[in-house]
Amino acid sequence: MLDKETFLEEMGQRIRRGVDKKGRLYFEVAGEDLHEVVKYLFHTMGCRLSTATAMETYHGLEVLYHFSHDPTGQYYCPRVVMTDKKNPRLNSITPIIKGAEWIEREMSEMLGITFDGHPRPERLLTRDHPKGLDRPLRLRRPS
Amino acid sequence: MIKTVIPVGPFHPLLEEAEYFTLTVDGETVVDIDLDIGWMHRGHEYLSEGKTFTQSIYLVERICGICSTSHPLACSHAIEDVDNIEIPPRAAYIRTLVGELERIHSHLLWLGLAGHFIGYDTLWMWAWRYREPVLQMFEKISGNRNHYGMLRVGGVGRDVDPDSISGLLGILDEVWRKIEMVARAAGDDPVLKARLKGVGVLPKQAAVDYCAVGPTARASGVPVDVRKDEPTDAYGLVEFEKIVLQNGDVYDKLVVRLLETLESIKIVRQCLEKLKTAPGAILNDVKEISAGEGIGRYEAPRGEVFHYVRTDGTNRPIRHKVRAPSYVNIPTFAASCKGIPVADVLITLASVDPCYCCTERAVRMVDSHNLPFRIDLAKLSREKTERIRREIHG
Repeated sequence: MLDKETFLEEMGQRIRRGVDKKGRLYFEVAGEDLHEVVKYLFHTMGCRLSTATAMETYHGLEVLYHFSHDPTGQYYCPRVVMTDKKNPRLNSITPIIKGAEWIEREMSEMLGITFDGHPRPERLLTRDHPKGLDRPLRLRRPS
Repeated sequence: MIKTVIPVGPFHPLLEEAEYFTLTVDGETVVDIDLDIGWMHRGHEYLSEGKTFTQSIYLVERICGICSTSHPLACSHAIEDVDNIEIPPRAAYIRTLVGELERIHSHLLWLGLAGHFIGYDTLWMWAWRYREPVLQMFEKISGNRNHYGMLRVGGVGRDVDPDSISGLLGILDEVWRKIEMVARAAGDDPVLKARLKGVGVLPKQAAVDYCAVGPTARASGVPVDVRKDEPTDAYGLVEFEKIVLQNGDVYDKLVVRLLETLESIKIVRQCLEKLKTAPGAILNDVKEISAGEGIGRYEAPRGEVFHYVRTDGTNRPIRHKVRAPSYVNIPTFAASCKGIPVADVLITLASVDPCYCCTERAVRMVDSHNLPFRIDLAKLSREKTERIRREIHG
């Protein structure tokens, strides 16, 4: 069974910095390395994408993916930080994992992140909202 | 070829949340399905950032009325995960007890509704009748039939009175006998088999691709169960089996839930026995949560509930992400509903587990000339069940 040590050995050069906790591995990857890391987690290790969390910080926007390795209960969480707050862009992982379609659409409309290569870049939650909400999770933290 | 579009929703009695499905049918066969959500965006994630950790637990308890202890459990796990906080053994047993009782009543609720949707009202009345004692157990344990308010960071807020345990075990024995009878009857019923076997099949690969969870995934041969994969609370201290079936149809989803209900009763019995003698406190004194991030999850009746919190050392989360199991299970309809007859759509949509009400719902149908007329999906489903019943019993 592929474990954390094997993952670090194979993907170590793509990991910038990380936090290793009990059962949780949070690590930062560059946007251009995301596909390789996701493919390794999903196809090679058989991880399941639980969901992804996007948030705005002082440094920029970040997207944190949560991959669950169910046989071991270990979580692998690649984090991508985008410093360009005006036009944050990231490669979509939906072409690799169908289950990422909704969460990427949600992150896009809530924080204004563009997911390049997304097969259906439409609003998910606020398409017909009467107030026409624009990036509602960023309004309280203007850049 | 004339294709017809049938809108289902956005407010539909079969769906636990308000969702809007657009079915494209060619004659009797569904050729495409599209989904539109966002009808009940309540801003829980944003609201939680303005509340203390304890208040957040109460807030997320209101996300779902049926699994109202799964979200607080996942939320508590996430907050505790920031600092790897341990909870007392007695609290662990109480958490597991409440979580499993919830699974029993939720699965029985679904079983009853599934019977009702296909026109098998005997199953509906049985299942809901035997769900009632479980709710009474909740009332004895927490004071409420729903929204139990038991969870705290570091344990639970209310103990189980050791004097009440023998009474609870008595109710549980009665529930076990009845559910076992229902499980055997449903498992042997030729009408149920004829109506549900091979209907709305979700292939294993599709379940993996859509990252499905819970009974929806386990009925398709994907062995994902948080209780076994990452045992928290008392799940590492009790014995039970993970139920995994292979066919992925509605019948297997029904069987998974029935067998899981029996496993849950076994877990509840073990927890109650332990609570007779398990010593100690029910709540660790947690003074503060340091800056960091934590992931918490729990195997809700419908599948994995996922919570993520980011903290900055204050008493509030600066980010609180919530992902309910329906969020990943509903998109699987794109795989399970294509190519099936319209009469089977109802039970296939319901098979991931609906929540509310049992009102009839007539949907608006638009033909190729955009002229609306009405069709009753529930009626179609019941007619099919009746036809099968006549064919079997003559």
